[in-house]
Amino acid sequence: MNFMKKTTAAILGLSLLAATASTDKASAETPEEIKKRGSVNIGMLVDFPPFGIMNENNEPDGYDADVARALAEDLGVKVNLVPVTGPNRIPYLVSNQVDLLVASLGVTPERAEKVDFSDPYAGISISLYGQVDVDLSSAEKLAGHNIGVARASTQDVSITKIAPEGANIQRFDDDASAVQALLSGQVEAIGASNTVIAELEKIAPERFEEKFELRQQVQGIAVRPGSDALLEHINAFLAKQKDSGALNAIHEKWLGSPLPDFLTK
Amino acid sequence: MYQFDFLPVIGAFDQLVFGAWLTIKLSVGAMMIGLALSIVFAWAKTSGPKPLVWAIDAYIEIIRNTPFLVQIFFIFFGLPALGLRLTPNSAALLALVVNFGAYGTEIIRSGIESIHKGQIEAGTALGLTRLQVFRLIVLKPALRAIFPALTSQFIYLMLTSSVVSVISADDLAAAGNNIQSQTFASFEVYFVITAIYLAMSLAFSLLFSLVDKRYFAYPINR
Repeated sequence: MNFMKKTTAAILGLSLLAATASTDKASAETPEEIKKRGSVNIGMLVDFPPFGIMNENNEPDGYDADVARALAEDLGVKVNLVPVTGPNRIPYLVSNQVDLLVASLGVTPERAEKVDFSDPYAGISISLYGQVDVDLSSAEKLAGHNIGVARASTQDVSITKIAPEGANIQRFDDDASAVQALLSGQVEAIGASNTVIAELEKIAPERFEEKFELRQQVQGIAVRPGSDALLEHINAFLAKQKDSGALNAIHEKWLGSPLPDFLTK
Repeated sequence: MYQFDFLPVIGAFDQLVFGAWLTIKLSVGAMMIGLALSIVFAWAKTSGPKPLVWAIDAYIEIIRNTPFLVQIFFIFFGLPALGLRLTPNSAALLALVVNFGAYGTEIIRSGIESIHKGQIEAGTALGLTRLQVFRLIVLKPALRAIFPALTSQFIYLMLTSSVVSVISADDLAAAGNNIQSQTFASFEVYFVITAIYLAMSLAFSLLFSLVDKRYFAYPINR
């Protein structure tokens, strides 16, 4: 019977997929391996201005890109910037598609179980940001309102934690979609970083306001677990960049302000 | 060696069931409405006035030559500017109906055009009304001819519906993404939702082949 044949074929295919997936290993990596290969694959966001954007030549650019390029230069290898999205950046790293992430990845304990973090290289604050005529001054008032977030982002985690029963959290695949939902009126507020808020104030002045701060967070460069030598190299690189003022210059270039104090320790 | 750990996925199984149920509701709902739309459009296209034919042609060409992702963005983010604000799930349903309608119209039109003219003339000669001719002599044999194409279009619709998570509708793919983002068990989650999609596709093609045997068997035994 035709149907039986199809089912058998599908099950066979699925088992094959399982076999391939299980040979994929999340292996540790050393700076020597990267140097021998002559290039480093660095995952970064391209929808998170000004940290990660696509520039006018359709190439990844931004704060993260500059840090990634400086790091590759420090390693003495060519850089290959790989665009990733918020939800898939850790899968990209653990499945060996990239060597490391300079992807505005906020340092959290949950993530630290899956990846190893360097010292912080950037920091942001995250707030609830919404329409001026809607009263959302505290967490309890979120009930009955539509709140947009980028799925799996720090905004998502912290709003989900404080949201009362009846708050409707809508999860989008990236910040750009959440912002679009806010601008089109599909949601009344979003969880957003200070950088996104600054951009929105430019596009749509006086339509929205910052409601309350959710958290401050620092971002780290992430590597696969156990890549201790690589991590040591990155930390030494970051210390050099902070001492020489190079990181500060990148911060001035993209964010228009000096590197925050809590990063310069 | 990547260590598979299915526990977090099993722990969130209720979310997956909930998501799969929405996927089924969206796809079946979109197919029902879309099929009704397709039949009307296909009829209009084969025997309607010229301006109507042009309008339907324009609709079909626009939908079939643009990505579904753009269509759903347009409906969810664009329509509020025109004063129509839909919830994510209804926007998803509308987008799927509009998309299925375009492909369905062309499939049914091809079925209608496969009916020999003499058959229609015979119906008219027997004194059947225009609607009776369309319903009994044109549509049923046409559906018999295009049923396999309609089946695969439905399966395709169900798989396409995995895109609706981009506008925060909570279908199976969105449930998978949510679990993945909380547990980071991406292989396990995608493995499980792949299996669920596969099971749903196979179950529906079985269902459709039963419907085919039951209603469209030919030659008709009495």
